[in-house]
Amino acid sequence: MARWGMVIDLDKCTGCQACSTACQMENNRLPGENYQDVLYYTEGKQPTPVLKWFPRPCMHCEEPSCMHVCPTKATFKTEDGVVLIDWNKCIGCKYCMIACPYGVRFYTDEKPLVEPDIKSVFPGEGDLSWNPPYKGPQQDNAHGVGIQPHGVVSKCTFCYHKISKAPKGIADLSNDDAANREYVPACVRTCAPTARYFGDLDNPNSNVSRLISDKRGVRLLDHTGNKPQVYYLSGGAGPAVPSGRGGANKA
Amino acid sequence: MSAQQVKGPVNAAMMAGVAALVIGGGLALASLMSNGHAAFNTGSSGITWGLPVVGYVFFVLTSTGLTFVASLAMVFGIKEFYPVAKRCIWLALVTLIAGFTCLALELGHPFRMLWAIPTSFQYLSPLNWMGLFYAAYMVLLLLKFQKINGGDWNSSGSRMLGIASFASVVVAHGTLGGVFGAMAMRPMWYGPIIPLYFLLTAAVSGAAFAVLITYLTYGNESFMPAKVKNLMTGAMPKVFAAALGIVILAVVSRTIIGLWSNADGLQVWDHVVASPWYWIELILMIAAFVMLAKGGAPFFPSIMVIVSLFIGRYEFLISGQAVPLFKGSWVTGLIDYVPSMTEWMIILLAVGIVLAGWAFGEKSLNLAAEPAEK
Repeated sequence: MARWGMVIDLDKCTGCQACSTACQMENNRLPGENYQDVLYYTEGKQPTPVLKWFPRPCMHCEEPSCMHVCPTKATFKTEDGVVLIDWNKCIGCKYCMIACPYGVRFYTDEKPLVEPDIKSVFPGEGDLSWNPPYKGPQQDNAHGVGIQPHGVVSKCTFCYHKISKAPKGIADLSNDDAANREYVPACVRTCAPTARYFGDLDNPNSNVSRLISDKRGVRLLDHTGNKPQVYYLSGGAGPAVPSGRGGANKA
Repeated sequence: MSAQQVKGPVNAAMMAGVAALVIGGGLALASLMSNGHAAFNTGSSGITWGLPVVGYVFFVLTSTGLTFVASLAMVFGIKEFYPVAKRCIWLALVTLIAGFTCLALELGHPFRMLWAIPTSFQYLSPLNWMGLFYAAYMVLLLLKFQKINGGDWNSSGSRMLGIASFASVVVAHGTLGGVFGAMAMRPMWYGPIIPLYFLLTAAVSGAAFAVLITYLTYGNESFMPAKVKNLMTGAMPKVFAAALGIVILAVVSRTIIGLWSNADGLQVWDHVVASPWYWIELILMIAAFVMLAKGGAPFFPSIMVIVSLFIGRYEFLISGQAVPLFKGSWVTGLIDYVPSMTEWMIILLAVGIVLAGWAFGEKSLNLAAEPAEK
């Protein structure tokens, strides 16, 4: 069984947000609820501030604190290493949002970040929070895939509706492999500079394993013990893994 | 105490409580039913747990503290506390229900919780244990109240129920402390001392409520029976002051450590001490402590401490989330948060439950009862 993971080469990422847009289209996300986001932030102060960016999907941790705190086991880890939410069991307590060190979980029922409220323009039917004119993946509440129902938390699924259909034993899911391109997560598939790689972390011959080993991949906030399955490569020439979580840094 | 002996504003409290229940509950439910949780000012890029969770923590820890006060008599045998023991047990039940109400209205699926938590049993989750122990505590508290309401204070069964409810609430509040204390990614909350901090603040909260409600029951000291008066001018202010003094030290200690440390996330302490609310909280506590230490009546200190603790709970809950987690330019500084009217209405509903519940007990359940002298 594969253990899916992602490698993001920060030296190649141009911050173009194509990954975020593809994710939004694929998973019907709304502004501010981006499963995949490229975060822009400033480090340093005048007169030498530096604008930086940082692509941030869910880290699909080896030891996910979001899963451990979930009182109903709605958040779970699949055999192939993906952290998902069973929307049928989520009670909307939001403890996972508190416990995730990376801020990658989203509650449905909130004031919109951008007006007009798209959810009210396309109101949902039944339990679903909205009814977009274009629907991406098949609704699969047990794996947190599709349109988010009311009162639950959602998160990046590594496009589980795609990767779960990939042939067993495959080492990498890459655009270079035409036969299996359909199974590549949307953010990886659309990345123009090929800054993203997706594959089996347990396979020593996979491209992702080699990249992590050869280019010394690092993980975000490794000290929390969550052990992300998303690794970042940075030779130092371009954007680096942020020193903090963003927001106001201590003076 | 019969209804005729009640000198305090119990009827007024009942009316105010019912009004708060109707207004707070009505407006909160109407808003939630029409807008869902979008009626809250919480958000995935903002504060996740808002004012209703502040209310939950405030009221359930008050319940914990009230059980501590009752346990001084019923578990530890300090007989001076018997005159307020039954009232404290009843009020512990009422405040617990108020707290649970706040939490239920904050959850996305409160009814799903009833089956999903017991059938899943995620033993790693502090929230799972908190739910389990607070549910057990509520059942034990109900049974204990039923016993003493029937005049059975000292049978072995009644004593065991008292000990069990005390033990369950110690563990329950500890797991509530664990809900926050286990969060390494939220440094303002993180640490093994948080359950102990909750224990201390719960004790002070319970003492303050016990004093306030006793004064409201009797009007003033001149209408109090001798034993109640002795308690309110003797042991109670001393216990209250001792616990309050330790809480003041704990608050100051947390502030200094928070301001000193460079850990990412603790920068929020600069913001906390820049807020007038922090100084109101601290000054109210210190002033109440001085008034108690000077031997003054504990009535006004109890109100000051309750206000101070509510500010403290708000500060703890909201500031612990105020540093954004990887939100980039969606949130450029600390997260701003002002509770919505719906959130305040939930707090008003909870206050209504406490006032009406207490007044009902005072009028119908003889809360002044104590065991017969041997």
